[in-house]
Amino acid sequence: MTDTPLPAANPAATARTALRDAKDAGATGPGTRLGTWLTLPAQLLIVFVAVFPLLMQLYLSFTDWTPLAGRPWTQAHELFIGFWNYQDVFEDARFWAALWRTLLIVGVAVPVEFALGLGLAMLFAGGFRGQRVLYSIMLIPMMIVPAVAGYMFFLLFQSDGPVNGLLSTLTGRDVAIRWLTDPDLAVISVMLADVWQWTPLMFLILLAGLLGVPQDQLKAATLLGAGPWQRFRTIVLPKIKTIILIALAIRVIEIFKIFDTLFIMTAGGPGVATETISVFFYKIMTLELAWSYVAAAGLLVLVGLSVIAGVAMAFMPKPGKRT
Amino acid sequence: MSSIALEGVVKRFGDFTALQEMDLTIRDGEFMALLGPSGCGKSTTMNVIAGMEDPSEGRVRFGERDVTDVPMSRRGVGFVFQNYAIFTHMSVRANLAYGPRMHGASRSEVDRRVTEMARFLDLEDILDRPSAGLSVNILQRIAIGRSAILEPAIFLLDEPLSNVDAAFRAVMRRELKALQRKFEQTMVYVTHDQLEAMTMADRIAVMDHGVLHQVGTPLEVYNAPANLFVAQFLGSPGMNLLPGRLDGEAVELEGGGRIALTGAEARAAAGAPGCDVVYGFRPEEARLSAEGLTRPVEVIERIGARTILHLSGGTKAVFGNDVEAAERAPVTLAPAPGTASLFDAASGARLGA
Repeated sequence: MTDTPLPAANPAATARTALRDAKDAGATGPGTRLGTWLTLPAQLLIVFVAVFPLLMQLYLSFTDWTPLAGRPWTQAHELFIGFWNYQDVFEDARFWAALWRTLLIVGVAVPVEFALGLGLAMLFAGGFRGQRVLYSIMLIPMMIVPAVAGYMFFLLFQSDGPVNGLLSTLTGRDVAIRWLTDPDLAVISVMLADVWQWTPLMFLILLAGLLGVPQDQLKAATLLGAGPWQRFRTIVLPKIKTIILIALAIRVIEIFKIFDTLFIMTAGGPGVATETISVFFYKIMTLELAWSYVAAAGLLVLVGLSVIAGVAMAFMPKPGKRT
Repeated sequence: MSSIALEGVVKRFGDFTALQEMDLTIRDGEFMALLGPSGCGKSTTMNVIAGMEDPSEGRVRFGERDVTDVPMSRRGVGFVFQNYAIFTHMSVRANLAYGPRMHGASRSEVDRRVTEMARFLDLEDILDRPSAGLSVNILQRIAIGRSAILEPAIFLLDEPLSNVDAAFRAVMRRELKALQRKFEQTMVYVTHDQLEAMTMADRIAVMDHGVLHQVGTPLEVYNAPANLFVAQFLGSPGMNLLPGRLDGEAVELEGGGRIALTGAEARAAAGAPGCDVVYGFRPEEARLSAEGLTRPVEVIERIGARTILHLSGGTKAVFGNDVEAAERAPVTLAPAPGTASLFDAASGARLGA
């Protein structure tokens, strides 16, 4: 590589400064109005992209439209039924069961992934021999296509599959656990698969956070008499709080929408034992073609997730404010 | 209150030896500066004292107590980091309270000590401000107060002024010196800036490449450097060092010129007649003279208060602004009597030391 000449390294910084200056000026000076007009097309585009599908969903949720209704969705208002869909959702035991099941998977898998990820991240942040090789291996599950991971776990968890085979060898008895066909075990199997695949993401995010904790502050804390646990509680945890929140929010939202791996492993079964909210929507849409009903239920879930995201955001530092 | 003794301390990192057989005693209540260029081992020395690094060989003692195997969290030294290592996610108050809290002091005890320390360091008005974004001199005071609140007998400061711009450094130096007088602790101060070392320290330990070259008061190391390294390193510009040969009570300089020796120099020379030596004198001690070193002036540098003559061959001389000299014209110089140093050309050590 040739040496980068100094000026070439600077434009980014210059641009940042310029941007900040522009922002400062814009907040008070006459630039405000011009700035609004200049960014208006882009803002409108974003509003359109983000809001249009939502409006479409809201529109359909007040109708009884299905693809078989004999008219395009734009004329769905002819089938206006008010809040009936919403009332149906509230009275649909299957919807609530799917919702609680989803929350259960979130409630178990996210803490497990967090604990494992944090433990591994602390191990790696401390450094040990062979760390680089292990680091690469650790990240593999995350890069496997979820559908493929689903097939792998489908095969692993067969009654005569490798997992039971290993357990048989270890215990010396013939183990035939019905991983995917027992209603309770199927939920656990799905959680295991998710933990396997997504702990690395948690690990990666938390490791980045831990490596950003200033070493000299940790040393200062040690010199002031803080033990390992006190250092973790008073220095490390406050410094990575934001990153923890981001990691948790990402995983909560992602698992809430869990579909591909799970659908290939169990298809929501046996019965509805592993039917999560996504699987429920998929089945209602493809088998019962009740699109407007799903639109209403989907909106309710969106509101719920927004509340979770809002709570998480409330704990995060505002952009532009120094921590 | 505690003295510090390093006894035969060696520190190796793999094949690299950072400290070679270091013996250093720092007296109770003394302000000791560890001075040397970067990579000389001064920070390693500090880390060994603090317990951040274990010495490969040798012992560390605080007073009578051998602390070599005591972990850093229980050595009880105050440490001020180069960038102060303030806990930026805490308020000023929480920073000050950190040490007592970690030592399990009661809430009222913590409050009492924090209030006391804040009054002492004039931090009362900003106690509840977040510590991020405060100015450097306040950060320095917080860093010192955070350590001092535990009343450590030993205070270690790792280049605390290196992030500060030159104009502000003078202010900080004064403040630091005043703080040391208040606390009366044993202070070890690491720096590569000789001005800081000269102005603040009771004694200076000059180091290079893991070797301790000289320990002495600022004037001792300045006036009577123990060897060529110390002579070159201290002073700005550094000491003029001219190779030559002893000839009775005079030095015959390489490249022409003869300077008579007087007093201590002459006595030192008497012990090694005919020896190859390096003759050293401070640029500030140069005088125009009838006999001595004659060289043409290459550059006349006027720096305001003074005028520096750069002679060919690298010799520098500092004069008042009224000096009569012209570029390219030769001048003859000799140092003021009794101010020169003689070094053995082979070993670099000071003669007659």
